Amino acid sequence: MKTPAALLIFLTLAGFLLPLRGADKYTIAVIPKGTTHEFWKSIHAGALKAKEELAAKNIQVDVIWKGPLREDDRDQQIQVVENFMTRRVSGIVLAPLDSQALAAPVANAVKAKVPVVIIDSDLKSDKQVSFVATDNFKGGQMAGEELGRLLGGKGKVILLRYAVGSASTEAREAGFLDVMKNKFPGIELVSSDQYAGATRESAYQAAQNVLNRHGRDVDGVFCPCEPVTVGMLMALKNIGKTGGRVKVVGFDAGTQPMEALKKGDVQALVVQNPVKMGYLGVETMVRHLRGEPVDKRVDTGVYLVTADNMNQPEVKELLNPPLDKYLK
Amino acid sequence: MTSDPRPFRLAAVLNAAGPFLGLLLVIALFSLSAEVRPYFLSGANFKIILTQTVVVAICALGMTMIIVGGGIDLSVGSVVALSSVAGATLLVRDAPPAVAAMATVCVAAIVGCLNGLIISRIRLMPFIVTLGMMGIARGLAKWISNNQAVNFPESPINGIMALNAPDRFFPPPHGVWVAVILAVIMAVVMRQTVFGRFIFAIGSNETAARLSGVRVERQKLWIYTLAGVLFGIAGLMQLSRLTQGDPTVAIGLELDVIAAVVIGGASLSGGSGSILGSMIGALIMATLRNGSNQMGWPTYMQEIIIGVIILLAVGLDRLRRRRNG
Repeated sequence: MKTPAALLIFLTLAGFLLPLRGADKYTIAVIPKGTTHEFWKSIHAGALKAKEELAAKNIQVDVIWKGPLREDDRDQQIQVVENFMTRRVSGIVLAPLDSQALAAPVANAVKAKVPVVIIDSDLKSDKQVSFVATDNFKGGQMAGEELGRLLGGKGKVILLRYAVGSASTEAREAGFLDVMKNKFPGIELVSSDQYAGATRESAYQAAQNVLNRHGRDVDGVFCPCEPVTVGMLMALKNIGKTGGRVKVVGFDAGTQPMEALKKGDVQALVVQNPVKMGYLGVETMVRHLRGEPVDKRVDTGVYLVTADNMNQPEVKELLNPPLDKYLK
Repeated sequence: MTSDPRPFRLAAVLNAAGPFLGLLLVIALFSLSAEVRPYFLSGANFKIILTQTVVVAICALGMTMIIVGGGIDLSVGSVVALSSVAGATLLVRDAPPAVAAMATVCVAAIVGCLNGLIISRIRLMPFIVTLGMMGIARGLAKWISNNQAVNFPESPINGIMALNAPDRFFPPPHGVWVAVILAVIMAVVMRQTVFGRFIFAIGSNETAARLSGVRVERQKLWIYTLAGVLFGIAGLMQLSRLTQGDPTVAIGLELDVIAAVVIGGASLSGGSGSILGSMIGALIMATLRNGSNQMGWPTYMQEIIIGVIILLAVGLDRLRRRRNG
């Protein structure tokens, strides 16, 4: 009775074994915050792009792409970092889910001589080789400028925050508030303390709740990342305020926000370059492993996309990165 | 059933050893790859696996007791979050670490006691009661923390789960020892004490236990309260591990814990299960996670494999019952 069961387990698992490989090259673990959002797929594509280009220069890099088992679960992400540390990969490229909770595991990895490059969100630590990310504060300011311009410097505005502890979105929110406060005294922030949560569903609900309170007299909205933009758009549609009646500035592209930009439901999107982030994350790590000097902070750029410029070729490439080319 | 006794005895032995064989099999599997083996089979890595098992394992101690007694507790994950956030909040307010640690455990014990009271006095189904408590405790955790991770200044509590010397086995974090000691205590309680035997009695046949003079209501109250204490200790470990109180931590932990207990040979209909089995069940899952990370398998593969293992474990349980019945 035990034997067939054991055999079954064995066969199930054995089927997935990777082919054995030699060791004379770099193995780099890239750890995103989650794996289902389009943003992370672009990071993945960027990492693989770096792998291809380095291979052309005769540098063999193995990229292991591995998110936490449960999306957005800090403890699970800590486990992934620890597991790659004892796996003794050449280096770890990490997008930390939390700026504090991941600090100790990163310090441990560095102690075990596995260097770490941080991407996307900052870490409260000085152990990392480099921090490769968008300047999110600048991106938030850019969004604030645009929303202020769209509203002509007056009106009522909602900031629906993303999630607590996520350094990247908090920086965007801070940048946005900075501009609102200092440049547009005529604009009133009617809500800036509500959190959307990690999923589109939770964002939708939070947006509905905020709009239920302020929906009648709101003029503009800033959404600090893609799920928030999507949730907010659904909620605005429910109360018939799409199509520019409420000006929406979002952060990050993605299929649905782009559709909305085309239709005029979204007026502007601040867009990062996740492919470049994944690319530079791996590339910076390899340079470090080869003993070359690297910058402590690498900016991967932010861009304001509107209906006017969305068809320019360089913006198009940014918005529709050739993912299929890298992610087979 | 009047069958030949020999295969039955063989089945019994295999059942008892089942989880252990499963664990060996999982370890053997990841040792097959020449690339991963030297890292996977290292003291440093086993330390990591043990450290990652601590929270699930301590929760599984309480859950084993509850499941053997014919109950279930879905609020584990939320209780871990609530108690760790409560501890973190006290640390922020400059409470001494010992006080914060005690409070962490007490908060969970109170929730467990409430569960026990409602289940035993009002006679509601444990599934429903703890489902409700799952929401209440999670909500309270978010409320106390004002919906944010609670970051406290450097505290000795961080040291409980701190992974010093990441390149060798010794010394493992204190939390690992805590889990081992608690497991030994709970194994003795379950096997050797009247309290433990009554739990088996209630889980096997509540009416019979009642008629034989077991004070079922009071016993249940104690089961859930004691389990709460264990969940609180797990909460303290979680607090130490994250070095912050995170109200969204441990979502779905209850399923991991129940899976560990079930893989360890317990039956969800009560009356059977063992502490050792549950501990090995928890280790199997952590080892699988660790190994598949290191092999670079995609996340969905781990979920499928763990699912398959749960089905196999329950299938074994089913087979055994059919033979016994």
